[in-house]
Amino acid sequence: MLAAGRRVAHAGDFSNFSKVRLTDAQGAPLKASALTSEEAYVFHFPFRSIPCFLINLGKRASGPQAMTSEGGDFTWPGGVGKDGNIVSYMAVCSHQLSFPGKEGSVIRYASKGSEIAGKNGMIVCCAHASVFDPAIGAKRVHGEATDPLVTVRLEYDAKDDGLYATGLSGLHLVERFFNVHKRSLIAEYGPGVYRESVGESSPAVPLSKYAASVSNC
Amino acid sequence: MSDCLNRRDFLKMSGAAVVGSAVTVAGCATAGGSTGTATGSIGLKAALPKAKGPRLVIVGGGTSGLTIAKYAKREYPKFDVVLVEKRDMYSSCFSSNLLYAGIINLEFLADHSFLDAARNNHYIFFNATVTGLDRNSRTLATSEGDIDYDFLVIAPGISYDYGRIGISDAEAINTLRTNYPGGFISPTEHVTIRRKVQEMEGGVFVQYVPSGNYRCLPGPYERACMIAAHIKKHKIKGKVLVLDANPEITIKKDGFHAAFNELYKGIIEYKPGSAITGVDLGKKILKTEFDNYHFDDAAIYPGVRASTLIEYLGLVDPKSPQKEAMIDQLKYHVIGDERVFVSGDSRPHPYSKSANTSNTEGKYVAKLLAAHAQGKDISWYSPRTICYSMVSAEPMEAISVDAGYVLNKAGTAVAGFSPDTKLFEKRDAAKGKGTLEWARGMYRELFEA
Repeated sequence: MLAAGRRVAHAGDFSNFSKVRLTDAQGAPLKASALTSEEAYVFHFPFRSIPCFLINLGKRASGPQAMTSEGGDFTWPGGVGKDGNIVSYMAVCSHQLSFPGKEGSVIRYASKGSEIAGKNGMIVCCAHASVFDPAIGAKRVHGEATDPLVTVRLEYDAKDDGLYATGLSGLHLVERFFNVHKRSLIAEYGPGVYRESVGESSPAVPLSKYAASVSNC
Repeated sequence: MSDCLNRRDFLKMSGAAVVGSAVTVAGCATAGGSTGTATGSIGLKAALPKAKGPRLVIVGGGTSGLTIAKYAKREYPKFDVVLVEKRDMYSSCFSSNLLYAGIINLEFLADHSFLDAARNNHYIFFNATVTGLDRNSRTLATSEGDIDYDFLVIAPGISYDYGRIGISDAEAINTLRTNYPGGFISPTEHVTIRRKVQEMEGGVFVQYVPSGNYRCLPGPYERACMIAAHIKKHKIKGKVLVLDANPEITIKKDGFHAAFNELYKGIIEYKPGSAITGVDLGKKILKTEFDNYHFDDAAIYPGVRASTLIEYLGLVDPKSPQKEAMIDQLKYHVIGDERVFVSGDSRPHPYSKSANTSNTEGKYVAKLLAAHAQGKDISWYSPRTICYSMVSAEPMEAISVDAGYVLNKAGTAVAGFSPDTKLFEKRDAAKGKGTLEWARGMYRELFEA
């Protein structure tokens, strides 16, 4: 069970958490309009070890999408930001749970295409060649994965161009992530620490700075 | 029962492979001896909890069996799943080539527990060796007692076929198995080959590539690269001689040729069309049709057939050159027996015998079993062969293939690769990292919930 964390009531499709402000690496509030569209940013939400991608698609995302998922069906809300171009997903492959680590990442947002995806703007996991389209809710478009990536619901504050993470489209993958990676998470974060809440803010850094190497399959 | 014991002992002592119902003993053979049963009961029931639903017994804790055990239970929770495995400790055959260049250690392959897999996925792990099968009474005999089944999946993998390299003498086979193991079945072979590589001070190491649909098509070429990487790094005055029974590299040929020529020139020598026709073990000579090759050390991968268990249980298709099981290619059940299924590398399909294939096939078979147990049916869909081959160790670089399969026009059997099959033959670091993460993902898949 997800005892730790600051989960609040489950409402509608999403599991809601106290909202977390996204910041830059130094802790200054992130400006949505300053995000590059070249690569994804990595931040942690709602727990300290759960990596999420923040992506500027460089174009407006599609409108709401009806999504089918192991964790239950939900409606993907679309992009946020003044151009509706910012989206966010748990950076954990729904197939066999590969994720970005400090030492390297085999999963990335490939703005300029990839050998496996064959087109621009896809999230690609090199481990087993799964491809997800972030402009339509990270639905699977190729590979062995059947589930979409878990959506991180964002809130945009037009007054200061700020971004907040407020919920997840399901907790099924969080549970599996904790179970499957428990040994390495304990080694990296400490017993129990990996499942603590991130707190009120979470820094988002470009994947290429977060991981020592990024596989460009 | 004493007859059964006698018969089992006879089989053991004779060392003979028993074909179908050719050998029967009164009191042991089932009434319908023509079903080809082999019995080997120790006369005890296995110490298992009472079945709480239809009992699905799976023989073999490799990629296929572990996948089916997990997903059959998930697809149909009423199944009471028992996984029967003869090994008491897991170690994967997949990824073992990476040992030889020091990219991984044994722990990478073996730090995965059958008990954890069973606990996480709600089935029973039963550590025993299969000794017989009575399909009329639906009883599987094991070294730890008999198990009654409602459905049985047999996924025992492969055995070596030394006949394919013209060797039938038991003495010579034993010497080859012991001194120059193929390294595509058991962890003890992997340990031996790693020791050979680490102790290499020079000379010719032969890596043989057999003909036929052998397990892990790119495996022998990948291994040549990994051993060559070790030779290169440690500046050993030695080389890897790849003797290939086939006229050309069997898969990812451009990627392997590039690695051989660009990374290991003078270290790997590649000889296609070099089927071994005999050996002189005293003089360390491998004979082919046109040449004789001296070797200092070797990994002789002789060729592959379905596990001898398939033959012992009387399930071989007599027309199969690799003694594979006589099953319906779409439904996986033994012809004439919809209670017994064969999956994994003993299957007759022309699939790549690889872990990713067995894993994705296993998910299909699990759905099939769940449907079958409920009187339903599902449509066939293709497994997927995602297969990385590491060709460079420092830096890690790999090539890969992502393949599917299609049925023949009649829709009755698998015809070959699907049109969306893609080769990725430009070696790079992304695929190098992908190779390791592929394996880690597979372990998570097989052992975690």
